Amino acid sequence: MNRFALAFRLPIIVWQGLFFLGPLFFMIAMSFFLVKNYRMEEAFELKNWARMLTRGYVWDSYWYTLGMASLTTAAAAMLAFPAAWVLAFRVSEGVRRWAIFLLIIPFFTSYLVRTFSWYVILAESGVINAGLGAAALGPYTMLNTPFGTVVGYLTLTLPLVVILQTVSLANIDQNLVQAARNLGCPPARALFAVTLPLAKTGLIVAALFCFILSFGDFVAPYYLGGSKPPTLPILIVDTTKSGQQWPRAAVVAVMMMTTLFAIAATAIWLAYRKRVSA
Amino acid sequence: MSARITTALLLSWLLAVFIFIFAPIVASVVFSFNSDRFPTIPLGSFTTRWYDMIFADVEIGEAARNSILVSLSTSVIATMLGFATAYTDYRYRFPLKGPYLALILLPPTIPLIIMALAMLAWLSWIGASGQLWSIIVAHSVLTAPFAMAIIRLRLNQIDPNLEAAAWNLGSTEWKALRSVIMPFCRPAIVSAACLTAAISFDEFAVAWFVSGLNKTVPVIILEIVQGNIDPQVNAIGSLVFLTSISLVVIAQVFFISRVGRA
Amino acid sequence: MKDPLVTLSGIVKRFGDFTAVHRLDLEIAAGEFIAIMGPSGCGKTTTLRMIAGLEAPTEGQLRIGGRLMNDVPVHERDTPMVWQSLALFPFLNTRENVEFGLRMRGIGTAERRRRAVEWLERLEIREFAERSIDTLSGGQRQRVALARSLVTEPQILLLDEPLSALDAHLVIRMQGVLTRLQRELGITFVYVTHSQSEAFAMADRIVIMSGGRIVQTGRPREIYRTPECRFVAEFVGRNNILEGISRGDAIETPLGVFPAANLPAAGRRAILVIAADLVELSRTGSEGSIPCSLISEEFVGATVTLFLEAADGTELKVQLPERALGDLDLHAGGRFHLSWPDDVGHVLAEN
Repeated sequence: MNRFALAFRLPIIVWQGLFFLGPLFFMIAMSFFLVKNYRMEEAFELKNWARMLTRGYVWDSYWYTLGMASLTTAAAAMLAFPAAWVLAFRVSEGVRRWAIFLLIIPFFTSYLVRTFSWYVILAESGVINAGLGAAALGPYTMLNTPFGTVVGYLTLTLPLVVILQTVSLANIDQNLVQAARNLGCPPARALFAVTLPLAKTGLIVAALFCFILSFGDFVAPYYLGGSKPPTLPILIVDTTKSGQQWPRAAVVAVMMMTTLFAIAATAIWLAYRKRVSA
Repeated sequence: MSARITTALLLSWLLAVFIFIFAPIVASVVFSFNSDRFPTIPLGSFTTRWYDMIFADVEIGEAARNSILVSLSTSVIATMLGFATAYTDYRYRFPLKGPYLALILLPPTIPLIIMALAMLAWLSWIGASGQLWSIIVAHSVLTAPFAMAIIRLRLNQIDPNLEAAAWNLGSTEWKALRSVIMPFCRPAIVSAACLTAAISFDEFAVAWFVSGLNKTVPVIILEIVQGNIDPQVNAIGSLVFLTSISLVVIAQVFFISRVGRA
Repeated sequence: MKDPLVTLSGIVKRFGDFTAVHRLDLEIAAGEFIAIMGPSGCGKTTTLRMIAGLEAPTEGQLRIGGRLMNDVPVHERDTPMVWQSLALFPFLNTRENVEFGLRMRGIGTAERRRRAVEWLERLEIREFAERSIDTLSGGQRQRVALARSLVTEPQILLLDEPLSALDAHLVIRMQGVLTRLQRELGITFVYVTHSQSEAFAMADRIVIMSGGRIVQTGRPREIYRTPECRFVAEFVGRNNILEGISRGDAIETPLGVFPAANLPAAGRRAILVIAADLVELSRTGSEGSIPCSLISEEFVGATVTLFLEAADGTELKVQLPERALGDLDLHAGGRFHLSWPDDVGHVLAEN
């Protein structure tokens, strides 16, 4: 290999090794370190693991986070699908382009500010309850509930899910759907028998990203969900920021990564699995 | 007839999804000009008080300077990393290319909070945390994949003989890179620079963990939000939005339109 | 032959397990217009790319002007190429494209411009000098590619199927441009193509390749009239190919016994090749003529090719000028008789 080729490969490997793999592997190692007198010491002990895995509140958080992220993923997939279907099949190419451009905008507005907006909108004396109050309804408690958390998660994930679903639906060869209709397949059946299987990979990837984003977000469950109970990312923040217990935070992070890895592997297997029998 | 009703229902659904997505953005811009400390219906009077406050705030000014420095440096480094990997992927085949590409493409699949903890721990361990450049390093790793993707897409459109044609006409590999590959990729390079800057400008989790005392704008927002209800957040958010969206529009003009055309 | 400009001796090129070129020997003279021709995958483009330095030979020696070139990097060779895709730089205008090679050699702006404009004039595209490449027509782009390659005044120009993307009428025009340029400049053109008409119209000498080997080299007419193997007989022109057994002064085929010269010893297998344009067609049979029925016909301008089938299923072709058809009734299944003069058959020993 000549120097030219090496000049493009080596710096990347060194840089990403130092600042991507390095941190991740160090974090895994750190989960076995000890903290004595507020100082971290290199060690290989299972104490942090033993402590975290035997605490009920950790497992409460774990199942709560997993449940909320799954719920959000299901909700986002179902809320987004009709919208994506319209954008893919019922509007012109130009409208679709514009819609996708609009959907990119939220990524460049601060997620914190959007969450703060929801906080004000959903509050007991906020915009929604004021509106409902005028109709002699409510007030409803929406903040510091799982509902608030899901609203926050959806704020983060829904634009991405709509974009990914739209793109995967729009890439379907429409001739196949028309062929099915031509062979006497009713529209609803064509959706399940032809459209969904063809768009499967894209839909699963959209759901996977939605899950990863919700699973790892600490803003929505903290500010809109009131941290009751705290999710795993909130545990990481609290343990790191206030307790100085980085190794314990690392344990939580490794738990999260393991879970995500298993879920991503399953999702990818589902997405690319070939149907063997009809 | 029923088909039209179905379409109408679906269009309303689409509209509802858009309203849900844009409600908080519109609300924050509206609230930023609203006099009430805790906005509700009916709205209070128009004011620029929150903007006056943030412009007068020394700490926010400092954070804005930090943010600009971080996002500009990030965009330069991330675009270079992205270009190098995109070009390597385009031009070479080699054993372990899969892991090599994974090394640059994987960071976005790992939750930011985990990256934040890992970066904090590692950078402290090697004695490099709490600096502005700690944020820059972390943000470069996080944003390089986006630069790589944009530049790689552009390289998909190149005539594979173009670079060989330059060698054939007397260019060394370096000269061909500079006089053929880079000019061809220029729109994508500009877009990548804009997008990575915009992402870095908004990122708060990693910045919060590794920044120490050198806060960026999103970190300030996070701290304000933790305290109490303060409409300054809306004003800052609106300004950040304006900055980011300008970068995106530039990226769009330079790249997305051209990819669409080709 | 004059002193060879390019010498390939024992050149082998392997890509992994695949051998693209097998022990190739070829000398190309200075000032020669040589065409390398063959079906896709025959190794012709690989050979051209090795001359340019874009591929390194696995074995053998490549010399240009006597100098061993195997390890000379591509950018130091001065063997410009006209690419099939043209590979014009889309971000440069016409003049800047032409100047590119000069810029890479560090020649000053004024000199660069002067020489570029000179070549633009020579190729009659001066008026497009400041135009963007994608506003030019196919023929104009072709000329830009030529100017860009020739501006450094090389001793050799490599052309890789440069006309394959052009409309038929433009191909003829560009063939004229290329032959005129080659004659005026007196430099070597190495022209790779799968198109027989392009190769035969322009080249002084033709090299036919198949499966990574040279199967025949010669002047266009030699190749056309005296193919040396069955592959060339099938690939070039329109030939009828009859397998048979030598009887010393005649060959026995399923369609009859035909006198022929240059046959191998009696009893050996041989092939009789009769060019389709030398076959005579009539409605009525004569002694030794072959009764056939018409399957289909193909019109290409003034020439008609008839495809016929003999009683035993052998397919035969006849090429005629369109006006010679007269009032022949050409419907599928029509009965005809074919014959040819004794001396037009060309014999190949079967191996």
